[in-house]
Amino acid sequence: MIPFDLQEPASLAEAIALLDPDDPSVRPVAGGTALMLMMKAGLFQPTRLISLRRLEGDLRRVHVDEHGDLHLGALVPLSKLELSPLVAEHAPAVSETCRTLSNVRVRNVATLGGHVAHGDPHMDLPPLLIALGARARAVGPRGERWIDAADLFVGYYQTALERDELLAEIVIPAPSPDSSAAYVKFTALSADDWPAVGVAAAVRRREGVILDAVLAVSAATEKPIRLAAAEAAIRGKSTSSGSFDEAAEAAAHEVEPLADIRGSTAYKREMVRVHVRRALIKASHS
Amino acid sequence: MSPQLRHISFTLNGNSVTAEVAPHHTLVEMLQEQFHLYGARESCGQGLCGCCTVIVNGRSVSGCLYLAAFADQANIVTVEGLAKGEQLDPVQEAFVSCSGFQCGFCTSGFILMVNQLLEKNANPTEDEIRHYLSGNLCRCATYPDIISAVHAAATTLRKE
Ligand SMILES: Cc1cc2nc3c(=O)[nH]c(=O)nc-3n(C[C@H](O)[C@H](O)[C@H](O)COP(=O)(O)OP(=O)(O)OC[C@H]3O[C@@H](n4cnc5c(N)ncnc54)[C@H](O)[C@@H]3O)c2cc1C
Ligand code: FES
Ligand code: FES
Repeated sequence: MIPFDLQEPASLAEAIALLDPDDPSVRPVAGGTALMLMMKAGLFQPTRLISLRRLEGDLRRVHVDEHGDLHLGALVPLSKLELSPLVAEHAPAVSETCRTLSNVRVRNVATLGGHVAHGDPHMDLPPLLIALGARARAVGPRGERWIDAADLFVGYYQTALERDELLAEIVIPAPSPDSSAAYVKFTALSADDWPAVGVAAAVRRREGVILDAVLAVSAATEKPIRLAAAEAAIRGKSTSSGSFDEAAEAAAHEVEPLADIRGSTAYKREMVRVHVRRALIKASHS
Repeated sequence: MSPQLRHISFTLNGNSVTAEVAPHHTLVEMLQEQFHLYGARESCGQGLCGCCTVIVNGRSVSGCLYLAAFADQANIVTVEGLAKGEQLDPVQEAFVSCSGFQCGFCTSGFILMVNQLLEKNANPTEDEIRHYLSGNLCRCATYPDIISAVHAAATTLRKE
């Protein structure tokens, strides 16, 4: 890797002050796993990195507030999400997704904040966070603001975060008793490859009927997105798997998959169809 | 830009040490160049194969994707820190007795990962072993023998 400067502030405020809104070669670094991949490949050449590793407090915490909302600090490693009993209880689909996200060593180092802020469409958690109605708290020189997960991913490796903002936490709202969620992925090159298609579904159902569903797809598309037509197709339908076909069909129509080494556009479209169906089955039977 | 060296101190295999590192150095580079420890070696360089496994504060990391500067104040263990003098640790013993390697390039990473697995799960099933070790690759494909070695080491450790 080529040389760069490294700063290690001790507080969130200090870290924000060190960010530069005008210079894309200055970036925060958390676990460093995603950045180091890019730096080693020569895709990113920083002049200065601001390490978040000395920051303490809520940024490293997992907790449930008085409303039952689950707060996940941006510096929480993915291995902690995988193993936390609080996450297992309040967002079991998140724990399950983390179990097959990359490998143990990456999960030990990679943080939730880096995972989300990277804006890489191949990450596993973003579509699930969208389906779960999660919100992100961003902190910058002008104070803090909340961004819905569905509005956070604005393009290929692009998020709604400003260059001088840091992600502080992700909050997953308390699930209603009639809701459940699931994430399924398709890995094309090997069992534990990055996903070629990832689909998350959150459904609310009563007496065998889907009241509503949020569906999101990632990896196949340039950014994680909601599948509005598929959501409309499943609303009010029965939870018998026959009615999932229509939603799967709608999803396959509305996505615009990007072709890459993991599959052509047509192939990924087909995989979206299959996995929307699987995600709906899994969510409505869990 | 000339790399600005920084002075870091940490514990390495039980000893307090110091090093001069540049921000862009990786943990593997530092261990090899400054401490002549070659157990952790870079192969894929992308976090996929586990040849560069190092234990930092009790957790496994890929040394190829870990900044050396982040070792400051940490407790670092490499494969060289497992044996007590001439006496191999139970996982190392098991890899020898089960022939859990051929060329040996991947072995130090596997041995550290297996130590981590057995700390968390004293009696893993074959599925659990395969899942835990899915981020470690062996080009010689000695996987069946590696799995035997994990079972053997688990048996020894449960007796201790
Ligand atoms: C071998 C390998 C395999 C992988 N496989 C998968 C996979 O199958 N599925 C999957 O989902 N992911 C996979 N990943 C990606 C992994 O999830 C990410 O690399 C990781 O989550 C990034 O977290 P980090 O803390 O290391 O981020 P960093 O590399 O530190 O940062 C990533 C980005 O986020 C920014 N950033 C970091 N923290 C913040 C913050 N708090 N606020 C604002 N910006 C911030 C950085 O500036 C940078 O742009 C894989 C990674 C590796 C190395
Ligand atoms: S060399 Fe680090 S994981 Fe392969
Ligand atoms: S023994 Fe040769 S790579 Fe594993």
